Order: sequence, then C-alpha cells, then structure tokens
Amino acid sequence: MMVHIKRKQKIFLLALCFLGLHNFTAAQNRPSDIKFKLAQSYERAGDYETAVTLYEEVFAKDSSSPVIYDALRRNYQQLKQYDKAILLMKRWLRKSPGDPGLLSQIGSIYILKSEEQKAFEVWDRAIALNPKSETNYRIVGSAMLQSRLFDRTIDLYKRGRIACGKPALFTSDIAYLYSIMLNYADATREYLNLIRQNPAQIGMAQSNIATYTNRADGLSASIAVVEEAAKSDAANIPFSQLLAWLYMEGKYFDRAYDVYKAIDKKTNAGGRELFNFAERALREKVYAVAVRTYREIMNSYPKFELMAQVKYGYARSLEESDNMEDTLKLFGGLNPVSKKDAAESKQRYAGAVDIFNQVIAEYPNTEFAARSLLNVALIKRDKFFELDEARASLEILVNKYNRFPAISLEGIFNLGDVYLALGNLDLAGAQYKSLSEIGLNVNPLREKAALRLAELDYFNNKFQAAVAKLTELTSNPNSDAANDALSLKLFIQENLQSSEEALKEYARADLLKRQCKFTEALQYYEMIVKKYPKTNIVDKSLIDIGDLRARTGNYAEAIASYNRLITDFPESILLDRTLMKMGRVYQIGLNDKMKAIESYERLLEKFPTSLFANEARQRIRELRGDSI
Amino acid sequence: MTSDLGFVISDLGSTLRVRHSLLTFCFLILTMSSTLFSQKILIPMDLKQTDHLKAYGIAYWALSKNLDVDWLLNYRAGSFMLDGLDIVAKECRIRGVQFEEISGAQSAQIYSEILAENTNMDVIRLEKVPKIAVYVPPNFLPWDDAVTLAMEYAEIPYDKIWDDEVISDKLLKYDWIHLHHEDFTGQYGKFFAQFSTTPWYVEQQTMYEKEAKKLGFNKVSEMKKAVARKIKDYVGSGGFMFAMCSATDAFDIALAAENTDICDVMYDGDPSDVNAQKKLDFSKCLAFENFTLEKNPLVYEYSDIDFPPSTIAPAVSNPETDYFTLFEFSAKYDPVPTMLTQDHANIIKGFMGQTTGFKKGLIKKNITVLAEKEGSEEIKYIHGNYGRGTFTFYGGHDPEDYQHAVGDPPTDLNLHKNSPGYRLILNNILFPAAKKKQQKT
Repeated sequence: MMVHIKRKQKIFLLALCFLGLHNFTAAQNRPSDIKFKLAQSYERAGDYETAVTLYEEVFAKDSSSPVIYDALRRNYQQLKQYDKAILLMKRWLRKSPGDPGLLSQIGSIYILKSEEQKAFEVWDRAIALNPKSETNYRIVGSAMLQSRLFDRTIDLYKRGRIACGKPALFTSDIAYLYSIMLNYADATREYLNLIRQNPAQIGMAQSNIATYTNRADGLSASIAVVEEAAKSDAANIPFSQLLAWLYMEGKYFDRAYDVYKAIDKKTNAGGRELFNFAERALREKVYAVAVRTYREIMNSYPKFELMAQVKYGYARSLEESDNMEDTLKLFGGLNPVSKKDAAESKQRYAGAVDIFNQVIAEYPNTEFAARSLLNVALIKRDKFFELDEARASLEILVNKYNRFPAISLEGIFNLGDVYLALGNLDLAGAQYKSLSEIGLNVNPLREKAALRLAELDYFNNKFQAAVAKLTELTSNPNSDAANDALSLKLFIQENLQSSEEALKEYARADLLKRQCKFTEALQYYEMIVKKYPKTNIVDKSLIDIGDLRARTGNYAEAIASYNRLITDFPESILLDRTLMKMGRVYQIGLNDKMKAIESYERLLEKFPTSLFANEARQRIRELRGDSI
Repeated sequence: MTSDLGFVISDLGSTLRVRHSLLTFCFLILTMSSTLFSQKILIPMDLKQTDHLKAYGIAYWALSKNLDVDWLLNYRAGSFMLDGLDIVAKECRIRGVQFEEISGAQSAQIYSEILAENTNMDVIRLEKVPKIAVYVPPNFLPWDDAVTLAMEYAEIPYDKIWDDEVISDKLLKYDWIHLHHEDFTGQYGKFFAQFSTTPWYVEQQTMYEKEAKKLGFNKVSEMKKAVARKIKDYVGSGGFMFAMCSATDAFDIALAAENTDICDVMYDGDPSDVNAQKKLDFSKCLAFENFTLEKNPLVYEYSDIDFPPSTIAPAVSNPETDYFTLFEFSAKYDPVPTMLTQDHANIIKGFMGQTTGFKKGLIKKNITVLAEKEGSEEIKYIHGNYGRGTFTFYGGHDPEDYQHAVGDPPTDLNLHKNSPGYRLILNNILFPAAKKKQQKT
C-alpha cells in the first residue's frame, strides 16, 4: 500500500515539475519579459536612454502593468523628459481618475518643468476630489514638500485645517516648516496653538522650540510671541510655564522670577515652583535673583516644607552676593586688619550671618545647620577676623555634627587654621594630625592637612622635619598640595644652607602673616632686610613687604618695596614675579594704566620666558583695549 | 583690488630672473646705505621662533602701520626684517614673538649673504596691507575653518563675504579671498547620507535656497556655479585665491559642470543629467582635468580628485606615518612658489579632510606642485596662475587635527604656535603683500 502511494506521489510530482518548467521557460521566452529585464539591466547600468526605448516597447504591448508604467515614468523623469512623463501619467490617470497620489505626482513633474501654475491646478484637483479629507491634504502636502515649496505647503495645511474643522490639525507640520524657513515667530505661534488645544503637549512643544532657541534670533522671536500670548491669555498656565522656560534659556532670571511667582500663585504650588527656580538661580550664580526668590518664599510661604533648605539657600546667596561686592579680596583671600575694613565687612555680611544663625537655631541637628555653622565660622574668621567666635562655631560643628562627615572634616581642618591663627600651634597640629590619619576617600583634605603639619614644623623652626614631610608630599605629583610642598621645601633647603638664623626669623614673620598680624609681620620682614642684607632671603622679604602693603591698601609703599628689590637685587630670581605684582598694584590699586603697562612690558622685555609672561601679555592687551 | 593697482603678479618671477643682477646690486646699495646707520629687528622663523603664527601677524601689523617688512626667503626659514623701532619690539614682546635686535652692519651682512649669487635666498619687500575676504556662510556650521582660525590667532583682520557679495562684484574690493570647506557644486557638502535630518543641514539647505531665489537662480547649484565663475573671473583679473579642503575640487568641478546638472534629486529636486560626466568641460577648470564624478549622491565624495578618497582614507591613513614633503624652489628665479613654501620644516605631518589631497594624474600640466606625499599619488599643495591672478590649493581640513570630524571643537592654536602646516596657510596671506611690478599699459 505504501509503495503504491509513493509511486503515485512521484508521478504527481514529476507532472508538477514538468508543468512548472514548461511555464517557466515559456515565461522566460516571452519577448516582452526579456525586454523588460533587459531594460532593467540598462537602467541599473545607468543607460537610461536605451532603458526608456525598451520600456516604451514593452509598455506599448502591455499598458496595463503598473510595474512597467512605473519603470517608464521613472526613467522619463531620470532623463528629464517631463512632457513624456506627464503624458504617460495622464494616460494612467484615466484608469483611476480619483487617485490623489497620481495627481500629486503630476503636479510635482510640472514643478520640475517650472510650470508652477499648472502644478497648482493639478494639486487643487487632487484636493477637490475630497476637500474634507485629511489624507488628501497630506498627500498633496508631501508632494509640495518634495518640491520644497514650504510656504505653499503651509498654506495648504492651513486650508485643510479649516476645511476639516480641526483647529489643531497639521500643527506640528506647520510649526516645523516655519522653523526650517527660519520663521521662528510663526513656528512658536503654531506650538502655542498646539498647547492651547492640548496642554499636555507642552513638553513636546518645548523640545521642538529648543531646536532654535540656541540661536539669538530664534530665542528672541519665541520670547516675543510667548510673552504676547501669556499676556493676552493670562489664565493659561502652560503658556506661562513656556515663557518662564524661555526666560531661563535666555538667562533672563529677573523676568523668569516674575513669571514663576505668578505660576506658583495660580497653581497653588505653595512655593515649590519658586523654590526650584531659586535653587537654579543659585546654581547659575545669579545671586541677586536667588536672594529675592528665597526671600519671597520665606515671606509668602512661611510653612513651606523645605524651609531649612530655603533659609540656607537664602543665606548662601546673600553671602555670595556680598563676596562679589567685596573688592578687598583683590590682594589676597584674607581681610586686612584695618578696623574700618572689618567694620565694613561686618555690615556687609551681617545679613548672611543672621540667616545662617537662624538655620542653626531653628533646625538644629540637620545638615543645613552643620553647613551654616561652617559658613558662619569662615565668615567670622576671614571677614570679621573674630577668631574666638570662629573657633566656637567650629568646635560645635566638630563635636556635635560628626554624622555629616564631609562637613565635619572640613570643620576640623578649618579649626586647625583658627588655632594656628590664635597662636595655639599644638592644638592646630592635633587637628591636622587627626585629618592626616583618615582614610583615602577624603584624600585632598588629608594632603592639605599633611602640608599644614609640615608648615607647623617650619614655623617651629624644625626645618629637617618639615623637609621630610614635604618630600613625602611631593612624591605624589597629582596632589593639589604637591606644588606648595615643593616650593616650601626648596625655599627651606636653599636658605638653610646660607643662613639658618635668617630663615628662623623669616619663618616667624611668615607665621605672623598667616595669623593676619600684618603689622608685626611687616616689622619682622623689615628687620630681616636690615639684619641679613647679604642673604638670599632679603629679596623674598621685600616682596612680602610689598604684598602686605598692597593688602593693607598702602599701594605707593608697596610699589616702593618692589622697586627696591628691582634696584638693589638685579640678579634676584624673583624679579619677574615682582614686576608682575607691581603691574597689578598699578593696575588694580592705583588705577594707573600707563605705569601698569610699563611694568608688564618691562617683565616681557627682561624675562620673555617667565611663567608670568602670558599673564602680562594678556593684561597689556586688556589695558590697551585690544579686541582679541 | 590688485588689478586696480595695475599689478602683474605673474611678472614677479620673470622680472626678478631677467634683472636679477642689476636689482641685487641696487638693492644691496640701497639696503646697505639705509641699514648701516639703523638698527634692525630680525624675526627669525627657524626653530628659535617661539610663535611662528603670530610672527605673520606682526608682519601684517607692521604693514598696517606703514612700516616696510622684508621677507627673507629661505633665510632662517623665511625670516622677517623690520626697522628697529621700539614699537615693533614692544609689539613682538606683547604678542610673544621672538625677535633679535641687530645692528645696521649685521643686517647689511645678512642682506649681502642673501643676495649673493651662490645662495638660494632672496629678499621680498612687503609693502601693501592685503585686504582679505573669507567666503563663509552666515549661518553656523559644525566645523571650523583652519584659515580663519589662523587669521584670528595671528590677529590678521578679514571680512566675511558670501554669495550675494560675490555675485554683486563686491569681491573686487579685496586682494585675497579664502575658500574653505565650501561646496560649489550645490550638493551641500554631500552630507546627505549622514546629516540630512540634522537641524544645521536642514537650515543650511533652506537658507541657500532662499539666497538662490533672492539672487534670481532657480537652483542652489546654479547659484553656486555662478559664484565659482565670479571667483574665477576675480582671479583672472588679478585676485589671489586660496582654497583648502573640499573648496578646492568642488570649485573646479563646479566650473567644469557649467553646462550640465550633476546634482541628484535630493539636492536640487530633479535627477542629475545622465550625461553629466560627458558634458564636463575641463578647459574651464583652474587646476584639475579628466576627473570622474562620484555620482552616487549618498557617497561623501565629489569625484576621484580627492586622494586618498574619503571613503577609504580613514582606513588607509595612519597619523604616525602620514607626512608630506615641501618642494624646494629657487628663491631668486621662482620667488612665488618659494614664498608659498617658506617653513621651518620640510616634512610636515599630514591631515585629512573631505578633500585630503589631489590625485597626481588629474592635475593640469601647468600647475606647480608645492608639496606631495612621497611615494604616493597624493599631491597636497599646488599653485597656479590664471589670467593676471593666482590661486593656491591646499588639501586637508585642519593641519593640527588629523581627522577633524563634524561637530569637533575648533583647534586651539595656542597649543600649536609653531605649526608648520598652519604656516603654509599664512604664507599665502602675506604673499599678496609683496611688492609687484607696475603693469605696463
């Protein structure tokens, strides 16, 4: 039975194969098919003329095949035989007169023929097939776009929007077309239309608008349009949100503040919108706006859930804002000893200190209280020179807030500096030592502390111990402390050989300077100049005298000291540095442009390869007003 | 423009050849009489120079202050000699340019050495501040232009011009024009395959189309071809043209394609002429001939002029071994190519571009080859005359960025103050400042 079935199957399969083969060879042999394939080969080879001749012959015999029609049309276009293409397409149109796609294609060919009017007539016919069909508008629109008729496409889509009764139809397409035509105002208007129809689309609109807000004209056009819209439709929150975002894009923080304030109120956000804005303003260093915004939250939303953060941000903004006005920092990080200056600083920073203290009192045991303690301590030390009060704040921070290790360790380091300034070198050393023994994760602070320990040895005249510690520090060239360590090490070694006594006196003067006891430090430096006139340390002392004079605002005396160094020590290796400092004092302190330029030019003339040469060049060019 | 001043650039070499002995004598007498009594400032351009690029800026600055500058061809790698004025010394110091103050006697000795018959050196007096234009689109494009970078760094002022200025003959106001990564074929740099949807590409296409319409052209390609023809006319009437990267081959291709359409549908809305290749008229080109177009619109290449082709260049090029060699010319008999090849290095590291170099076999016979990659078909730097003007083509995009890609940050020339590759660009800028012979009418 099985054998019988198999034999039958074989016969059937053979018959099938024979028939198939017969049909295949018949098809292969049909002249029109051979010609068609030949035409395709010519087309592939780029010989469109021969291909067209063959396609025409095939089409003449079989004008019903869409494949042959399309091939012929394609090749006519390739050869720019537009009249033939149009005739062919019109002939094909007779088969399906209601085909908007075909009409659209004919329109496109007319455009290639530069017969714009005829193209639009055909496209209008395509639309007229069903004037309320969204698809028809899209088909014709695509053809117009292909012909890069952007403005006409926009008109068409707008017509379609009205005809279909859908105000939001084609909005994204129209907006995009406006934007690529560099018409940013109308593009933005379309996106506003989109948001008006569907507020949830604000994110999409925003990301599309962002493609042109990096251009000045794009940003200004979009701002103008959204401002107008937000004004005329004040209740539309997404419009306001878009406007606020645009202001932020343009860094117009003042204007953004007003918008966020209104949004916060309208949306009953309870201060959250304003808070986010304030945090960004602080990050972007727009301190005045940050101050204003934090203050607004404190006044208008006293029960805001993140009030500790608000107050801390407020105080930080005040402090940074004060720093910007503090011109005394020009000649060094520390405030000079003058009572007048300290009083000015107190007045300037009083507001910030007051708010920091409020945070400490109202939100004890929080991270913001810890940060506030550190900020208060640093202001008191650096700006008010109230070392005892600074110490008290830091001790509280170190003892009570060690669950915030990053802040607490910074507190320890600064406490060491305060002890050092107070003259308690042992306690200072204890702080630095505790830091130098901590783990690797706080490496930079540990190395800074190690440098301080070496400096303590230097202040204590334990020069060999200092050199040993500094040598270890310089073994890590990636360390932030390595340069300072190397410089101090070389200074000690060089002067230890020539005059240890002078070095001891100099270390004493350096300690006094570190402690901000500038008057005493000056006396020491001057004493060194008199007592050790033949040592290498004299020129450095003269620079220090000049620096301290400059820091305390005695610019003419500073210049005199620098000049003395230049005149009396023509071989000093510090001459380039001195000329640079002299230039700075003339430029910033005495506001004497000519003299400043003269100093910088002397530096360039005498020391063209100095490390300061680039800065000197830069400053001369700034002073000359060069546009570089 | 130069033609208004009646200068004949091509006469420069021949004049010097014919009358060299007499000129040498006169020059020596004149310079010695003036130099013996005055101090001079020598700006060395050999390895002692701290900032080669800014040194060109000093020369330009001196010319703008009506100070004469002598370009000492082949003397310490093309040094400059100026009068020993305080303001010159100060300016050199401020700009960080190394200089030497020398006595009148020393400078006379230098001139004498240069002008001796047995040395391959010469003196070219620079005395005119060249008015420079850079052909640059008004919109932002995500790549830099080595020439504008060099001029900005050297503090050499220039104006930016674009199609409407060229079409309306404003180019004639300038002595020198620079073209960089521009496409005169109307194919938008052939970036279609990679960047057609990026905002800068879309914006560029829209903008160019607007510009073409405004200037009365149906297609961008037609406008660009007209711009190329205008620039060619400018050269013919005495202008100097310097082109780099794809502006070189694209310029010649545009000229050759005057009577055909080589742009495919995505570039100008209709297919290219099927017989475009046959219809190319190489007689219209400045530098190249017999090249074959790259007709595939999706391939980032215009023709086979570019060598090695962009499609394989990244694979076959190695920055470690890619160097090109400058040819040496006779300073006294071929001063123009000598000026263009002044450098402190003869072998210079190569760099790629959309057009990296030029295929040797496709360069016209009358063109002077200034640099080539030895042992290969690649010519890097060429120079030629057309009418009363000259042109120089330099292959590659950025001499200090081996493979400058779209979107890469611009090169900081503060880090390449002594770039031999960038020096070649600046040689071209000073070249039009050279004293030329008055045209005989």
